[in-house]
Amino acid sequence: MDFFSNIGLGFSVALSLTNIFYCFLGALLGTLVGVIPGLGVLAAISMLFPLTFHLEPTTALIMLAGIWYGTTYGGSTASILLNLPGTPANAVTCLDGYPMAKQGRGGVALFMTTVASFFGASFGIILLTLFTPVIAEYALQFGSAEYFALMLMGLVAASTISEGSAIKGLAMVVLGIIIGLVGMDTQSATIRYSFGILGLLEGVSLIALAMGVFGVAEIIMSVRRVKTADIDPESLKLKAIKPSRDEVRRSWFPMLRGASMGSFFGTLPGTGPSIAAFLSYAIEKRISRTPERFGKGAIEGIMAPEAANNAADQTAFIPTLSLGVPGSATMALMLGVLMIHGVAPGPNLISSQPELFWGLIMSFWVGNLILLLLNIPLIGVWVRMLTIPYHILFPAVLAFICIGAFTSGFSPLNVWMVFAFGVLGYLMRVFRFPGAPLLLGFVLGPLMEEHFRRAMVLSRGDFMTFFERPISATIMALTGLVLIWGVVSAERSRKRQLLSEGEVDHTPEATDRPT
Amino acid sequence: MKSILTAAAVALGLAQPLAAQDFPTGPVTIIVPYSPSGNTDVFTRHLAPYLEEKWGQPIVIDNRPGGGSMVGTAIVAQAEPDGHTLLVTTSAFVTAPAIQTSLPFDSRDAFVPVANVGHVSYVLVTNGDSGFDTLEDFIAQSKDAPKFAATAGLGTTTHFAIEKFIADSGADVDVVHFKGGGPAVVSILSKETDIYGSSISSAGENLKTGKVKALAVLGNERIDALPDVPSTGELGFPDLEIKQWVGMFAPAGTDPAIVAKINADVNEVLQTPEFIATVTPLDWTLFQSTPEGFAQQIDEELTKWKALAVSQGISK
Repeated sequence: MDFFSNIGLGFSVALSLTNIFYCFLGALLGTLVGVIPGLGVLAAISMLFPLTFHLEPTTALIMLAGIWYGTTYGGSTASILLNLPGTPANAVTCLDGYPMAKQGRGGVALFMTTVASFFGASFGIILLTLFTPVIAEYALQFGSAEYFALMLMGLVAASTISEGSAIKGLAMVVLGIIIGLVGMDTQSATIRYSFGILGLLEGVSLIALAMGVFGVAEIIMSVRRVKTADIDPESLKLKAIKPSRDEVRRSWFPMLRGASMGSFFGTLPGTGPSIAAFLSYAIEKRISRTPERFGKGAIEGIMAPEAANNAADQTAFIPTLSLGVPGSATMALMLGVLMIHGVAPGPNLISSQPELFWGLIMSFWVGNLILLLLNIPLIGVWVRMLTIPYHILFPAVLAFICIGAFTSGFSPLNVWMVFAFGVLGYLMRVFRFPGAPLLLGFVLGPLMEEHFRRAMVLSRGDFMTFFERPISATIMALTGLVLIWGVVSAERSRKRQLLSEGEVDHTPEATDRPT
Repeated sequence: MKSILTAAAVALGLAQPLAAQDFPTGPVTIIVPYSPSGNTDVFTRHLAPYLEEKWGQPIVIDNRPGGGSMVGTAIVAQAEPDGHTLLVTTSAFVTAPAIQTSLPFDSRDAFVPVANVGHVSYVLVTNGDSGFDTLEDFIAQSKDAPKFAATAGLGTTTHFAIEKFIADSGADVDVVHFKGGGPAVVSILSKETDIYGSSISSAGENLKTGKVKALAVLGNERIDALPDVPSTGELGFPDLEIKQWVGMFAPAGTDPAIVAKINADVNEVLQTPEFIATVTPLDWTLFQSTPEGFAQQIDEELTKWKALAVSQGISK
């Protein structure tokens, strides 16, 4: 009974005119940002973050969440049509989506990825609706020791499962932690790494860091690899989007497996949609009876990852909302919205802010429906948007970033920091250092320190507290497994890479290569 | 508009020197060194429209949280002393400097106290299922097995309240710092910690549902919101008169006439029935203060908390 009244409450919030409007706005912006290659969801949300100061927290979250899952819908468009991933989560969609487009089946691919996206998202939302309260109920058993263990696992997972070199991932996590330490320490009031700059007392702004490392760096990279769009308009007419019966038949199970995998990885802090997409692609290829079709336009190769990344988009809200632990940098921004509006994310959130929690979740249905209805007829429009010359698009985006940075703290310091982090981000891209672990280290590092110290006080200095408390011990054991798995799989993929030298590599790092 | 206000002020016998009469000549920024929607922020946001009406200028509330309120405080310390940048902060203004020894300003020299607007009371709370029902139980049990106290952060008034309680009662308690009142209350709910000096609004619903119970009100008087809960004064601790006050400050060097004008205007708002009606449900006790009286209070409290920090070994 309670369950249905919650759902009702959620829909009553989500279906208010204001919230539908902002949900639509978020979904639209998200699709837009997703379609533009090189402009990621993090950059988009970072840029729009200051806007949310002036909105109700629920409305603000509904809009940002719309951008968040909207980009994953839109991101597949550029992957398929141009072989340029709109977002990292859609990178793997290039592998079979672009070949499909070259075979004149681009319309089919765009249509089917939209369907897969909707299916994956629905799967995720249902899990979110059913299990978040359960997770939240157990969340009170999470003390400082458990949070520390959880965050340690997130950092380890981020550095080892994230795409590319584990060592580089780890290095970025550490750099992120160091940047996160800037400012006044909350435990001892010691001022660290502030170089006497007053504005740095409150630490480095997450917005400045995210916009610099992602937004600005993406733009510099994209400028270096501009290619003229080469799109066959015939393949985009509405009649060209109907899949064959065989393609529909072969889509069901990959979609279901992708959605399950995506849901699981979404709930783990430190993993998320990109990893879910890559792994579900890898699994589909491994269990397929015809793995040789993959990479040449296999429909399974786009259905599984697109269902996975959208499912993960939704379930990523479980740890974020019920534990107050951001699973990704974007989720950290969502938590920031809550905190700016004085809402403490954590075990009390669902009971103390039911209209926020259920309203947000139910808005996911609204948003996904909007995206479904939006994406299919507008495929042609997105494609035309891709033809806006970069020399007009990018300066406009840069101006947007500067305004956003300034307004995030009303201080010119933030604009300079965006600039500095943009240079850092560019260097990272050139030397193939992933940005996501940096952000995660930045967000999780200081939290880890805080929980570690508190756990130490509460255990009166006994390190065994992390291994004696059952939940903490379990997480620690899992962390060990993740670490071992990371090392093993890195070793394995290195060997595989040596074997397949010379083959075309479509990972996002590879697309960064100036061509 | 301004001339009408000035005329009204003159008519009320509040004539000011020229500089103060002209104040404010532009938008006024009030820096709140806490996140939006905290106690202090909410209070300031209720206050601002009344001052806007009196001054005929917009007021911008600028939240600059961090460093236990010292980040926003430092910004005002360096602001132009023309009354157009003001600080509204809590008693952390006097407690935080007792612990943070490397602040880029001197709390006594860098500010002019303008007005002490009021306070909220603290209640010592524990988990509803904890093994103690009274403060005496708690103190006695802590001597057998040491307990944990939560604070809303190092150097906050909740921290000093607990330190003072420990010093006066001899209870064996280790202090654990959390980031804000919310997580501190959660630690009481999850029994991670045993006692917390909470404002009524922080404990909120949990106090009503019995998930959290109140052991004592800090101070010598009981409070209206919890008439059955004893005060620490009744229980034999007369020196635990600790409230979280909220006050307004201007940068040092601000024209005393402007300070007097702002003080008078704020005091007037605090007597407005509609204003009182808005903030009373939030557990506020409002004050009328003079800049001189407030300055003396600040001076005394800075000395008092520094001494406590030294004797409790929490000052670096």
